[in-house]
Amino acid sequence: MSQSLRPYLQAVRSSLTAALCLSNFASQTAERHNVPEVEARTSPEVLLTPLTIARNENERVLIEPSINSIRISIKIKQADEIEHILVHKFTRFLTQRAESFFILRRKPIKGYDISFLITNFHTEEMLKHKLVDFIIQFMEEVDKEISEMKLFLNARARFVAESFLTPFD
Amino acid sequence: MLLLDYQNVLIQSVLTERFSGAPPVSIDQTVSDFDGVIFHISTPETKTKIQVSIQIRCFQDLLRYGAKEVLNREYGPYVVPPEPGFDFSILVDLENLPAEQEARDELVKKISLLKRNAMAAPFEQAYQEHYHLKQEAAKFTTEEAPQGVREGGEVKAIHYREEEAIYVKASHDRVTVIFSTIFREETDRVFGKVFIQEFVDARRRAIQNAPQVLFRNDPPLELQGVPGVKNTGTGEIGYVTFVLFPRHLTPQRMPDVISHIQTFRDYFHYHIKASKAYIHSRMRRRTADFLQVLRRARPDNEEKERKTASGRTFKVGA
Repeated sequence: MSQSLRPYLQAVRSSLTAALCLSNFASQTAERHNVPEVEARTSPEVLLTPLTIARNENERVLIEPSINSIRISIKIKQADEIEHILVHKFTRFLTQRAESFFILRRKPIKGYDISFLITNFHTEEMLKHKLVDFIIQFMEEVDKEISEMKLFLNARARFVAESFLTPFD
Repeated sequence: MLLLDYQNVLIQSVLTERFSGAPPVSIDQTVSDFDGVIFHISTPETKTKIQVSIQIRCFQDLLRYGAKEVLNREYGPYVVPPEPGFDFSILVDLENLPAEQEARDELVKKISLLKRNAMAAPFEQAYQEHYHLKQEAAKFTTEEAPQGVREGGEVKAIHYREEEAIYVKASHDRVTVIFSTIFREETDRVFGKVFIQEFVDARRRAIQNAPQVLFRNDPPLELQGVPGVKNTGTGEIGYVTFVLFPRHLTPQRMPDVISHIQTFRDYFHYHIKASKAYIHSRMRRRTADFLQVLRRARPDNEEKERKTASGRTFKVGA
């Protein structure tokens, strides 16, 4: 793990742990409804101050807490066109499987690549620290995966080009 | 199987089986190949006479560049008038096959190379033109050479796919082959760029004697004024240029070089697709890993049923 990644992930981890303090809270505007307040945005008094943790201009995390839900959006590093395509493909791949990921949001927040929505029902069913672990591990591995795929693509392209041109030699 | 074969494998296997001396059967088979080429293998009259027909989109282009002569040279005694709906046909009589096994294999090989031979005509013509221009150019110094010799021959365009074409141009010191390629999708375009970049760099790095490869998004200077070439400016169409140097242009190497360069587009796209498939399966695996991690967050507190040694059961809470 690189020198600047560790404090970044540590900051995300502490902020997430602090923000994941959720309780059951029924909607104040519609009777017998219980919706994630961070999404509904109907009562401003239950929304908390959003927080952005940025490692640099290309990598940042937005945490939007509220009384019964929290939204985490991640912007993944995209240094060039290839990484952009790979990130796009990968996040699309994940969001299409949002059903089995429970906490994954089907559509990322504008300006970010992938978003998670954790409600009090999730924290009741699942272990809170393990959920934080999941987010952190996701952030760690997604970068690694993208750069490995990019390396693979370059290696394959090189090999393919050389084997096509060798018979001319 | 990294490199693609030059021949059509299906035709090869059908004919090998037929030529092996098995009892004749009636055949009616349509075989497709790259670039929308369609073959038809049939036995129109009797079971012993096999007809192979080919349909190529750009046959008119090819005829203009001497495909007729090339095909007659290759298939002389077997050529018959083309079947309706097809461009070129040959007929092989099973009762009149060459006696030796090697000669039969040779014939099978030749027939399965039908597409390659048809497409080879413009390249062969460009080779001949190059030899001619080389002789001409030898008489002059570079500055004095008359207009025609210095600039080289006309550009031969083969519109082998709907929106893509191969352009071949001969000059006294090289033959230039330009492929126009189109990428429908953003992903393909980016992957294509990575691959092409490696083709361009390969010569600098490892294989010094390979043809020079150039890539650009606007039509190269060679194609200026050629009908059908337009600069869309969107970067959707790319032009890949292969410059064949005199060392690739010797008569001995001609057949191999022509066969090989024809497979470029298919090879290139094949590997782009293969990389996409690999990356897809990799993402699938990684997604499964993530799911595994998330599943760990769910505490396993389901009640377990346990048995004592005597067989009674009781429940243990988590």
